[in-house]
Amino acid sequence: MEPPSALTTVIETTLDLVPVGGRAAVVRVGGEKAVRLRLMEMGLVRGEQVRVQRAAPLGDPIALRVKGYDLALRRRDARAVVVRMTAGADAPDGTD
Amino acid sequence: MADHTIALAGNPNTGKSTVFNALTGGRQHVGNWPGKTVARKTGTLDHAGRRYAVVDLPGTYSLSAYSLEEIIARQHLVEERPDVVVVVVDAANLERNLYLTAQILEMRGGVVIALNMADAAAAKGLSIDVEALARRLGAPVVETTARSGRGIEALKAAIAGLVDEPLSATAEQAAPPATAPGVHIDYGTEVEAEIRSLAQALEAEPGLRAGRGARWLAVKLLEGDPDIAARLSGLAGGAAMIAAAAAAAERLRCALGEDADTLIADGRYTWIHAMVREVVQAPPIERVTLSDRIDAVVTHRLLGIPVFLLAMAAAFRITTDVSGPLLEWIAAVFDGPLANQATRLLERAGLGGTWFQGLVVDGALAGVGGVLVFVPVLLSLYFVLAVLEDSGYMARAAFVMDRLMQGIGLHGKSFLPMLVGFGCTVPAIYATRTMRTERDRILTGLLVPFMSCGARLPVYVLFAAVFFPRHGGSIVFAMYLIGIGTAVVLGALLNRSLFRAARSAPFVMELPPYRMPTARAVLAHMWVRTSGFIRRAGTIILVVSVVLWALTAIPAGDGTFGDTPVEDSLFAGVAGAATPLFAPLGFDSWQAAGALVTGLLAKEVVVATMAQVYGAEVADEPPADATPGLVEDARFVVTGLARALADTARAVPAIVGLRPFDGEAEETPSALKVAIHADFSRSSDGHPTLAGLAFMVFVLLYTPCMAAVAASRHEFGARWMWTSVLGQFAVAWLTALVVFQGGRLLAG
Repeated sequence: MEPPSALTTVIETTLDLVPVGGRAAVVRVGGEKAVRLRLMEMGLVRGEQVRVQRAAPLGDPIALRVKGYDLALRRRDARAVVVRMTAGADAPDGTD
Repeated sequence: MADHTIALAGNPNTGKSTVFNALTGGRQHVGNWPGKTVARKTGTLDHAGRRYAVVDLPGTYSLSAYSLEEIIARQHLVEERPDVVVVVVDAANLERNLYLTAQILEMRGGVVIALNMADAAAAKGLSIDVEALARRLGAPVVETTARSGRGIEALKAAIAGLVDEPLSATAEQAAPPATAPGVHIDYGTEVEAEIRSLAQALEAEPGLRAGRGARWLAVKLLEGDPDIAARLSGLAGGAAMIAAAAAAAERLRCALGEDADTLIADGRYTWIHAMVREVVQAPPIERVTLSDRIDAVVTHRLLGIPVFLLAMAAAFRITTDVSGPLLEWIAAVFDGPLANQATRLLERAGLGGTWFQGLVVDGALAGVGGVLVFVPVLLSLYFVLAVLEDSGYMARAAFVMDRLMQGIGLHGKSFLPMLVGFGCTVPAIYATRTMRTERDRILTGLLVPFMSCGARLPVYVLFAAVFFPRHGGSIVFAMYLIGIGTAVVLGALLNRSLFRAARSAPFVMELPPYRMPTARAVLAHMWVRTSGFIRRAGTIILVVSVVLWALTAIPAGDGTFGDTPVEDSLFAGVAGAATPLFAPLGFDSWQAAGALVTGLLAKEVVVATMAQVYGAEVADEPPADATPGLVEDARFVVTGLARALADTARAVPAIVGLRPFDGEAEETPSALKVAIHADFSRSSDGHPTLAGLAFMVFVLLYTPCMAAVAASRHEFGARWMWTSVLGQFAVAWLTALVVFQGGRLLAG
């Protein structure tokens, strides 16, 4: 039986919590003006698709693929970006 | 005098420097932007009978007013109003690159786009319709591959073409250059309405003289740009405009639920995105490039740090070991053949044995030698830096180390300067250039001298031999640890106090694709920076050498000028005057103070000075009539160079091997050790070991040599140099005090 569309959850989270390999779309960028502006100028604008490529050996910073290039971001700053998950690191079957 | 001016703008890592070099040939000048620590390159281009003055603006991702580079770039564009702006754009990374381009096009016309790095774009499988792009941007687009020179002639022609078009009206104060803006970006109905009303109000206000730049100003005001607001607030009607813009932003926030600056940034990228979709054809699935594959290893969870350590070890070896033989050769040439020949020349001129000979040979010549001795070190440092930066590895190094450096409040890129500092502080200070923000550069530059440089090592070795005969190695190691510990503590303190305000900038760093550095770029970089050092820092070092020589030559009482033994000179007098300063630290003899003073010139000299002032050294200067002939000296120079080059070559394979410190301790005469022990016993009231330890700690932490101080001034400016000099002295003094007095208390 097909699950009704009303049950499809929209997972909204912050960029620092997206697992490595996960894809997400930017919903909005918060934070102080200078930080927010810098993140947007680098391409993290509303609707933009990003992919978390990897994390540094010590866990921080993370490397994102955005607008076709790689961007390193500290988790502390990534927390300001609210995103909607579009695919997890290991998307389970049938939840596309 | 140039006919026209060109400014080169663009994102970092787009090959802008290569374009600059290609346009200006070899003719360029590197300095700093006035009052800032950001590099400024200028040059000239001669083309089709015209001369252009070219300025390379700092690489920026945008023209907002929040980073030093951006402020410099924007200020230049607004105030200098160059005739042509060349925006260098990375073809493989078009969307993000076009953000800056869009901002520039909104501001003015007279823009040429250099679509650079076509090879990288091809590697990604991208194909770009250049004509369509030019049409959409309203500006000529020239495809270039700057490394190979392809497209450069076409670029020059495009620049010339723009200059031929009639330029419009004249200078205006608060507004951007009067050349008409190239594009009109549609920000959406509501935003456009607000922009239009603001622009009309701006045009109507005569005091602001907005003219053609009204729309650009309106956009900036709506964005809440602090720099524009500051400029306008001083003008008639300015404050009212700022208030109107704030009200407009508020209306937009209510209507659209977003801040105005977000809406505008969004608007720009929407415009760019639509353009790129039309103009660029990309393969459906993103190709995995070689860069991706390399990164999988280099930033791998387990391999990342070992790779980093290997790279840093190699960097360190190159700057210390490989340059070592050449450094020694230069020192030997100055001490030997050059000094000899100068002496002979002066003798022939009848000035032999006079104070003038002393001035020339021991003052000026030694000073020049003292500067040139750093050339091999700096050349190798800049070689290493150029390779690391141009290849793209530096960003990965920062990526891997950032978490660790964050704890100290430093940037990931601080690791390399700190590491190089263990060899020599001078290149370490110059290595801070790799960091993008002034704050990180200065903070690192303040802490780097605490990484105990190689020249201080002989002092530890000597004193450890005197006071800790059985634990020498551990004590020396402890010194290094104390240095690192002090840097960490000081870093944390500075972060919370002096540098707290500058913390708001986020760590946002591009990881550019890996590229093979070109020999030409690397060599150019090495030459430009090293010659800068010789010119700027070199003069200071030379002056100080002469002054110090003069101090040793001026007799404090009787005795002739230029012929006094050290203990009777003004130098001893000055050192003597300084000794009470060291009384609480346990070593208030003029000999110890004197050694510390000479240590300001070069730390290597401390041990030699001690030997001299404690009278324990046998003079090794050959008598004047044994001066070798010109032929002998020439042969010395040549064979010495050959041997040095051979040693350098031999050191290269050793780069990969990790060897522990090769502390070269010369055989110290036991007479010196006895003398030191006796003197320190006296000055410390029977606590020689503690005094010795305090002395070592002082040497570890106090102001570095003249060359490092000169480098500090060259890189950071006089104010920070003095902060560093005095601060280090204070830190050294306090720590030594704690060691000596605290130790005495503990000893009971």
